[in-house]
Amino acid sequence: MNSVLRYTGIFVVLVLLQLLVFNNIQFSGYINPYVYVLLIIILPLSMPSWVVLIIAFLAGFIIDAFSGTMGVHTFASVMAGFVRPWIISLNMTHEAADPDISPSVQNNGLRWFFLFAIMIVLVHHLALFYVEVFSFSGFFRTFLRVIVSTLFTTFFILLLDMIGWRR
Amino acid sequence: MRSLLNFLLRHKTLILFLFMEGLALFMLSSSHNYHQTVVSNSARSISGRLTEKVERGRSYFRLKDVNEGLARENLLLRQRLEILQIDTVTPFIAFSDTVRKLNYSFLDARVVNNSVSRQKNFITIDKGRDDGVVNGMGVACSEGILGIVVGVSRNYSVAMSLLNLDFRLSASIAHNDYFGSLTWDGRNYRNAQLSEIPHHVTVTPGDTIVTSGYSAIFPPGLMIGTLTGDKKKGGDFVTLKVELSPDFKKLTHVFIIGSLNKQEIRSLEEEVVNE
Repeated sequence: MNSVLRYTGIFVVLVLLQLLVFNNIQFSGYINPYVYVLLIIILPLSMPSWVVLIIAFLAGFIIDAFSGTMGVHTFASVMAGFVRPWIISLNMTHEAADPDISPSVQNNGLRWFFLFAIMIVLVHHLALFYVEVFSFSGFFRTFLRVIVSTLFTTFFILLLDMIGWRR
Repeated sequence: MRSLLNFLLRHKTLILFLFMEGLALFMLSSSHNYHQTVVSNSARSISGRLTEKVERGRSYFRLKDVNEGLARENLLLRQRLEILQIDTVTPFIAFSDTVRKLNYSFLDARVVNNSVSRQKNFITIDKGRDDGVVNGMGVACSEGILGIVVGVSRNYSVAMSLLNLDFRLSASIAHNDYFGSLTWDGRNYRNAQLSEIPHHVTVTPGDTIVTSGYSAIFPPGLMIGTLTGDKKKGGDFVTLKVELSPDFKKLTHVFIIGSLNKQEIRSLEEEVVNE
């Protein structure tokens, strides 16, 4: 029960952080970090996948509703939530020993957490940017945006995790 | 029945996934008239209030630029006033815009939310239905035009930014009046494209691009930007690259432009087409 309450707090803080701070950060007019993906990353590895999907949907929907991009973030978040089990099984090494704790640098080591986070962010951003443009024309330009934004978002996610903002 | 239930239970994640993605795509596809949906309207009034607070803080850092812009505009207006005063002395000058024949009305507003990094950007403004804003009005700042109002709530309205893949406006080259279609290709937020210009038109870098006034959204002759000199040939027409004169990244004060004759022009045009 305690962890549910704590996660709700994290949820609110991250959504506010995304809407008020990170939506205002733009590097060279193209890159906008979407740190709220961290909400999907830090769910315990043992969590049933349908619960992950619902949380991802809620997160995407709230971001969508408040930034006026109906459907785009919802689509990307649900996609990221859906592929999460496969990414977990891809990364199933001894570092992921305890499936009941929430993934972080401290719990799983920098290497493991970095790989896990960047894979989920990449899936999220792939869905996000291609759905936003809604066409494959200019495929490589969109792809470049995906790659650069993925790096930036992952950087900020690692930074947030390392400064121990959850405590 | 039982096996069906079992099937559904076994694949609940996949079914949930497909259902949610379907829902997301549905929201996306109906987003062209999403301004009417209740959810986003109420969310907008909350986020409008919230971002207004943030924007109020951020606007302090832009005061210097705003001041400079206002001073420049003052200078321009003063110069124009000078010209007008000279003109009134000479005979045979008829002013079409007398008090009774005004064509456009203006309303000042502040930007509470704005983006340049997306492919479909929108600008949120702190004037809404209660201030007389309706869909289809133009939004501009002293440097040039910015977008067109596409959604209105009680106290706020949302304008489709010029930096939106769906944006389209008739624009003309100031010195020879050839007109074309102005769009944005989603790349650089400083540049837009003017297409459908015939081959034989001679242009030089730095030529001014202004509104044509054909769509009765903006008055003719409002600044849009200048030509960079880059051109792309295709078919019978060339596409020219336009450097936009307003900087979309630092918008604070804008004005909304309402055409008083739009209704009349539209109904006349429809009448003719229908005959």
